[in-house]
Amino acid sequence: MDHFEGINFSELMCGIEAAPGYLKPVVKVATGGTTGSSLAICGYHNVASGIYNNVLVIGWEKLNEGGATTGIITAFDPVWERPSLAGALGPLALMAGMYSAKYGITAEQAAKVTVKNRSNAANNPFAHLQMPNITIDYVMSSQMISYPLRLHDCCPQSEGACALIYANEQETKKITDNPAWFHAVETAHYYTFGTDDKMYDLPTATIASKKAYKKAGIKNPVKDLDVAEIYEPTSWSELSWTEALGFCKPGEGGKLLDEGITQMSGEFPINPSGGVLSTNPIGATALVRVAEAATQVMGRGEKRQVPDVEKALAMGFGGSLWTEILILGKEPLR
Amino acid sequence: MSKKKGQEKVFEIKWKTDLPYRYSIGKLAVKFFEELKENKKIMGSKCSKCGKVHSPPRAVCAECFIEMTVEDMIELSPRGTLEGFTVVNYPFTDPNTGGLRPFPYGYAIFKLDGADTYTMHFVDETDYTKLKVGQRVEAVFKEKREGNIGDILYYRVIKNED
Repeated sequence: MDHFEGINFSELMCGIEAAPGYLKPVVKVATGGTTGSSLAICGYHNVASGIYNNVLVIGWEKLNEGGATTGIITAFDPVWERPSLAGALGPLALMAGMYSAKYGITAEQAAKVTVKNRSNAANNPFAHLQMPNITIDYVMSSQMISYPLRLHDCCPQSEGACALIYANEQETKKITDNPAWFHAVETAHYYTFGTDDKMYDLPTATIASKKAYKKAGIKNPVKDLDVAEIYEPTSWSELSWTEALGFCKPGEGGKLLDEGITQMSGEFPINPSGGVLSTNPIGATALVRVAEAATQVMGRGEKRQVPDVEKALAMGFGGSLWTEILILGKEPLR
Repeated sequence: MSKKKGQEKVFEIKWKTDLPYRYSIGKLAVKFFEELKENKKIMGSKCSKCGKVHSPPRAVCAECFIEMTVEDMIELSPRGTLEGFTVVNYPFTDPNTGGLRPFPYGYAIFKLDGADTYTMHFVDETDYTKLKVGQRVEAVFKEKREGNIGDILYYRVIKNED
């Protein structure tokens, strides 16, 4: 994305070396944190509409040449917002504090999310921070970055890329006998101005997921879905987002975690890949969620595979508090 | 002598580029900054349909799609309630200055008395244990005001409110 890589129009490099786009239509999609899920949804529309038979979708980030916080600040209003805004983490810290104040969620519950996700990451060869022996104490004694967020409550800055191949039904048969099928894609925007929002939850996740569940025939997401890859930029966010996505009632994100439901061994594992807390190459991050959901549906997750996955949810989250939801299935939705 | 990876001397070309541009802030914001500079007043805008008071002033009510004009602007109290806060404690380049943003600093959202939306600004406290959602706060103005958001230096917690 512009500003993060220190160069605008980085897609101009897609001709030959970086991606096989030479003499083919190349479309750039950049929507902030949701870039990867927007890419995934655009890829779906391009093929599902019948316009293209095969599409290659690539998301990437090369963060060390930019500076995510600085880049993110430039996405906001120069007069009202930029002077005090501290990129993504400042507002996310503020949201975490408001969420905690409203529902009594504790720092220990947040730390448990990091422990879960970074332990999961140890099973994922593509994860950035693999910490099989991480403890709650280790997270809770790490440096305070932006109260209540400690260093290990926050996602890292990663470099990385992710690519997905899309094909229509006919072409798919030539490629694989084990594809992942799209069941639903949804985007929800809510944002008009930063401080219009409630800030203690994520209304767009509720709007987008409700629509997606309806399309995909999902009545109870925890029972009807088998796994979710959600976009949790902080440990606190995962707890809050699980509520907004309807996995539990408002205020019960901590309880859902404490009951072990979202663990690898639980009824409904969240982020077997290690999630965003373990790997965050921003422009690829939400596409990784979709790729990991597809991996689970195709049964190719090896050590991070959840048994017998029929349906998986992937979520993208962006700086202006918008949400994208994709639901994939082992069988086509008829 | 062998050097560790990452310590090799690299060929470097350094330059600086200015990218000036004009940003239209709209008539309501002009009025806001005029009142702030001349009269130390904080203004919001009130939707004529739903009555929602926007702070900072907005030209369109997002819920009603109703346009608001300078005539719809009302004065707000410089006092309000702390709704959310953090203490930013990490270094980054400030795109407004090109230099490092001084840290740590208190960053918060407030609901000014009479307003329905949040106001975002600095809070004059870097010890997070001293901040609490629900605390009363007030704006501290700059002596020589210039007509920008920096004319409100920060908000401070009111110890004993009358």
